Amino acid sequence: MTSFSAMFRMITAMGRSIALLGVLATPLHAAEPNRGGSLVYAYLSGPGTLDPHVASSLVELEVIHHLFEPLVAIDNNYNARPVLASKIETSADATVFTFTLRKGVKFHNGKEMTSADVLASFERYRKVSPNASVLADVDGFEAPDPYGFVIRLKKPNAVFVDVLKSPVYPFEILPAEQKDKAAREIDIVGTGPFMLGEWVKDSHLVIKRFDGYVPDESASGPDGLAGRRTAYLDQVRYNFVPEANARVAALQTGNADVIGDVPRDLAKRFDGQANITTQQIFPYCMQVFVVNTQAAPTTNPLVRQAIEAVVNVEDITGAMGQISRPGHSLVYASSPYYQGDAMKPYYDQRNPAKAKALLKQAGYNGEKIVLQTNSNYPNFRDAILVLSEQMKDAGFNVAVDIVDWTTNASNMQRGTGVWNVSTTGYCSNPLLGPQQWKVMFYTFPHVKDDHVLDAAYDAFYASLDPQKRIAAWADIEKRVLEQAYMIKIADMGTMRSYNAAKVVNFMPYYIVHFWDVWLK
Amino acid sequence: MFRTISVRLMQSIPVLLLVAVLSFILMHLLPGDPAVVIAGADATPAAVERIRRELGLDQSIWRQLLSWFLNLAQGKFGSSLMLNQTVLSAVGERLPVTLSLAALSLAIPLPIGIALGILAAYFRSSWIDAGVMAIALIGVSAPSFWIAIVSVILFSVKLGWVPSAGYAPLLTAGPGAWFASLIQPAMVLSLFQIGFLARMTRSAMLDVLEQDFIRTARAKGVSEWRTVGKHGFRNALVAVVTVSGIIVSLLIGGSVVVEQVFALPGIGRLVVQGIMARDYPLIQGTMLLFGFAFVLINVAVDIVYTLVDPRVRYD
Repeated sequence: MTSFSAMFRMITAMGRSIALLGVLATPLHAAEPNRGGSLVYAYLSGPGTLDPHVASSLVELEVIHHLFEPLVAIDNNYNARPVLASKIETSADATVFTFTLRKGVKFHNGKEMTSADVLASFERYRKVSPNASVLADVDGFEAPDPYGFVIRLKKPNAVFVDVLKSPVYPFEILPAEQKDKAAREIDIVGTGPFMLGEWVKDSHLVIKRFDGYVPDESASGPDGLAGRRTAYLDQVRYNFVPEANARVAALQTGNADVIGDVPRDLAKRFDGQANITTQQIFPYCMQVFVVNTQAAPTTNPLVRQAIEAVVNVEDITGAMGQISRPGHSLVYASSPYYQGDAMKPYYDQRNPAKAKALLKQAGYNGEKIVLQTNSNYPNFRDAILVLSEQMKDAGFNVAVDIVDWTTNASNMQRGTGVWNVSTTGYCSNPLLGPQQWKVMFYTFPHVKDDHVLDAAYDAFYASLDPQKRIAAWADIEKRVLEQAYMIKIADMGTMRSYNAAKVVNFMPYYIVHFWDVWLK
Repeated sequence: MFRTISVRLMQSIPVLLLVAVLSFILMHLLPGDPAVVIAGADATPAAVERIRRELGLDQSIWRQLLSWFLNLAQGKFGSSLMLNQTVLSAVGERLPVTLSLAALSLAIPLPIGIALGILAAYFRSSWIDAGVMAIALIGVSAPSFWIAIVSVILFSVKLGWVPSAGYAPLLTAGPGAWFASLIQPAMVLSLFQIGFLARMTRSAMLDVLEQDFIRTARAKGVSEWRTVGKHGFRNALVAVVTVSGIIVSLLIGGSVVVEQVFALPGIGRLVVQGIMARDYPLIQGTMLLFGFAFVLINVAVDIVYTLVDPRVRYD
């Protein structure tokens, strides 16, 4: 068996260097953190559920990662790092994963967390989670002793620990008594540094410091969603304020200390207010055009490639009104899977002449191409409107269909409705790696019978050598972009603002978190 | 009277049945799938299908309608797909917010709107009339979304008089905090109601002030205050009561925009979120409850008619 911690150290070496640079560049705050106080965070909506095994939206995950903990979680560089596990061993053939649990970890109800809880949590996950398919190759779970947990797979999966690090549908550990609770019906009891206080739906939610929290003493400090996390605040109150103007006003008036999802234009209102600091969070999400491979005429790869050829990224991002950065890859430059400039030829081609030639080759005869978008997310709508003009210039017969987000999302995910091209953003997938992208690549463009993509993914999962996995990802990414299943638009950021005269050590990260944050 | 109320309530049953069928069919005609919302964007198609089966969404629409009616017959309004609570408890939790806002939003515009309407009618075609109607026009026409944002910037950010958003419950936060949290949204809502009431009161008063009995009262030497206030307004009151009933119905239905801007956890926001998430049981149940509330308001308005105009009798 190879030690996971050794592999983890190797993979994250470069990432840590970057993180260290970041730490050195960060101004030093008050030497001694203050304990106590209440922080108010205004965000656009509240969670629908706090059941981690079924939670996928950021508003849910932002709360959940304060309350619960998994065996492994993402660190600052989005790599896997043990949390409730102290050691992870992987068999040479990548079919057996042995987790040694940290001792003395307490649930919010005072009970010690043991392998029985881990076993029950994984069994519940397999029953209720929409993400349960990632456990399809599990042959069995075992809890040989109170602090040991073993997962056996039917076939090798070299990135299985990376699967478990996912912050979306997180593999959080619940007390074993919750094993048979239906989806969304659990008691909110975890091992996290905060515990649930009051929750008034549509109004606010309060989390309180869990004084019995047992941090990971092996780490020197917090590291993404892992590491040694410390709750200094007595409580954090999440106020659900859907209107951006009201969130901005709440920060200006002192009714909130931190606000999320600040529109670019509204951030200008903070000009001249020295106490308010605004962060730009990158990486955050990636926006792509999704092309339906099961609706004519985009069943023809040449037509899809012609659409890809007309895209002018600058015009599109200029219209979207959100902070963004151009980026040709489906992973970020800091990822070990980043392929340098290899995918650049598919990006931002601005080439209507090429599109016309491809259309001619495809025998395109003016068939209608429906671009579907929604009225709820202006950045999605504006991207589609600009693309429609770019396509018209190249000779496409384009119709724009604007529906609401639920219809748009259902159509993309289920292949229903009449549409050829749509757009959406992916947040966790590009951060976490190829295994997290897989469902998206197949589901949204409705890819069927692509043996090249299938073979590349098989090679990815089966390769025990990291270099071979990187090569497999190159094949996957190239196939997705070359076939124009997805057309990359840009790396999108988000803005958060906070009262720097009051709040200390609020760090920019993909998921907002309040451990190791204190008040002056 | 009791018999009349009973008959009116009995008559509402077919109306409510129609509301139930329409709300069910309209919701199911909307494209979009609640299973996708529940499963989340990262779910596999198989997981979405499993949730559809669990929710019974794979059954025919008529079978789902029948099953909903059978539950209704047992007094079960169903459970929200998203909130993990029954429709009745979801509405019940938000009712105090909506009722508080509705009460304030009725208490403010009633005296102001009526007074402005009477003034405009009495000083017909004068600058007072023009001024009142200009205010009414602005109140009715200006988008409440825009007024709300301008109000927040002025009264919360610049002047710091009231909180910018959020609701403070009366029982736990106290009457002061409760009032402070609601006065701004209530004022924004009131602008429309004041405009609406002033225009309707003016119109009704103009009709009444032209009547012979007003001329007779003046000829008898009755004071202007008494002529307009008692003889005139009393006869215009039926129209005002009708308008007030409509206003109450609108307010109970929830003031979606104002609740959204001021982050008030009321019924309007609940309904909008329910529609966005295609939360069928929640929307169907809420529509039925709204229908029942509107019936009650109409019955109440009919009863008030008998109080303000003794000529109206139902027996």
